[in-house]
Amino acid sequence: MKSKVNAIWPPILLAALFLLAWQALVVIQDLKPYLLPAPSLIFTTFITNLSLMLETGLYTATTAVLGLLLGTVLGIVLAMVAQRFFVFRNLMIPVAAGIAAVPIVALTPILNNMFDITSRTPRVLITAIVVFFPIFVNVYRGLTEVPNVQLELMRSLSATPRTVTRVLRIPNALPFFFTGLKVAAPLAVIAALVAEYFGGPQEGLGSKIASSAANTAYGRAWAYVVVAIIVGLAFYLITLLLERVTTPWAGRSRSA
Amino acid sequence: MSTLAVHAEGVWKIFNEGANNEVTALSDVSIDVGKGEFVSLIGPSGCGKSTLLRVIADLIPPTRGSVSVAGVTPHEAREKHQYGMAFQQAALLDWRTVRRNVELPLELAGWDKDKRKARALELLEMVQLQDFADHRPWELSGGMQQRVAIARSLATDPEILLMDEPFGALDEMTRERMQNELLRISKATGTSVVFVTHSIPEAVYLSNRVVVMSPRPGRITHVVAVDLGERNEDTRESDAFYDSVTAVREALRGRATPVGEGGARLAETS
Ligand SMILES: Nc1ncnc2c1ncn2[C@@H]1O[C@H](COP(=O)(O)OP(=O)(O)O)[C@@H](O)[C@H]1O
Ligand SMILES: [Mg+2]
Repeated sequence: MKSKVNAIWPPILLAALFLLAWQALVVIQDLKPYLLPAPSLIFTTFITNLSLMLETGLYTATTAVLGLLLGTVLGIVLAMVAQRFFVFRNLMIPVAAGIAAVPIVALTPILNNMFDITSRTPRVLITAIVVFFPIFVNVYRGLTEVPNVQLELMRSLSATPRTVTRVLRIPNALPFFFTGLKVAAPLAVIAALVAEYFGGPQEGLGSKIASSAANTAYGRAWAYVVVAIIVGLAFYLITLLLERVTTPWAGRSRSA
Repeated sequence: MSTLAVHAEGVWKIFNEGANNEVTALSDVSIDVGKGEFVSLIGPSGCGKSTLLRVIADLIPPTRGSVSVAGVTPHEAREKHQYGMAFQQAALLDWRTVRRNVELPLELAGWDKDKRKARALELLEMVQLQDFADHRPWELSGGMQQRVAIARSLATDPEILLMDEPFGALDEMTRERMQNELLRISKATGTSVVFVTHSIPEAVYLSNRVVVMSPRPGRITHVVAVDLGERNEDTRESDAFYDSVTAVREALRGRATPVGEGGARLAETS
């Protein structure tokens, strides 16, 4: 426990030093805000516009959560299908890789045209596409990389494939799922934000960063960036917490 | 045949038959295990001990030959939970408590919750782990984990125990304690045991008969009958024990008289 507390201080100290150096650089070199605004300016902008900041962050976070849910459900379901049905296995993996290679930047304007201009749907879909791949790959590995001896044990007990999935494969896949989710959750925030750059409703962090920068409100643009970082970190930390609670055995020496 | 726990006749197992990586893991193996009998399989790595055990357990089909387990086909015996199995690795499920690991076979056999809990606690008491029922497997030592695995293999009160080097990963002290425990349990429950091991003293100490196998192709070369009576602290130091150890060692070196046609039949030992 003590080492955990000690592990918190170095990064905080480093961040503080970094911000100090940044502030000093801006003041001493007299940098213009469009080049680099001072942390103090970003901070005051953040505080004075707090409710707007939260509202904007919440919009993007909501898009990210919806896309994360959709992509996660799709990833899990397709991984289970791929594990269970041999014919799908060789089909699904190239398809999943293909989905991972979709250029979301190019796809966003197309999806925007397909849906209502005020709709959040294209952004959710983009996020889901980005989320799908890390979830699918990790869950598929978790469902299939089961120790052989445990599979033999299940067979010796005459377990049906469905029972093996329930009793063995799904719990075995849980730590793998969280490995995927730890990648997917912050990625969902980035995808939701990037999708906002390409048209659609003028809401969310992506839109606001773009419009603030266009209106030479650099302090505000950077304040939104700070919000984006906070949202991304929050997603990651929540995932970490969920992992601790639901898979306490992960990372323990396997008894198998 | 209904008096036999295991009856195997002319069993062959050829992996990748016809391909250039063909392996004859079992060649014309015949073996009978009587009810309540303790039989060990011993031999160098790759001589087909695990393969024979897995054919008996219906984990893999034999290429040729016939096998019956508790008077029925291995498939039926497996479906009816008539044998319990333990491996070198305890193969416990990390996400279940110790008690819920022991309950697993009962769960799959459709027992209701209260009955299987009571049975699991009874089994944990038998392997002296009742205080660890609510622990997780990773909190236990290797020897304790293996005891849990043995308790699990006994859960449905099977007629036969199939064990593949279950004590192979344990230190010598733990191992001897586990051997005594296994003997006590198998005697108390009247269970027949087929036990794979690398250790000559272990095979001799535990068994009524030691079946010696040799590789390429995997086959039974000798069957050594062991008659040490009731085992106790002095057994391991007795002359009879050393004589049997020597007999098995000689057999492994291929010096003793090999078994004749018909393989490891019961008749030859009595
Ligand atoms: N699934 C398999 N496919 C191909 N060869 C196998 C397979 N299982 C075992 N073998 C081979 O069969 C032989 C006997 O193996 P095994 O029964 O595991 O030996 P033992 O348990 O006595 O060490 C070995 O040569 C091994 O490589
Ligand atoms: Mg083996």
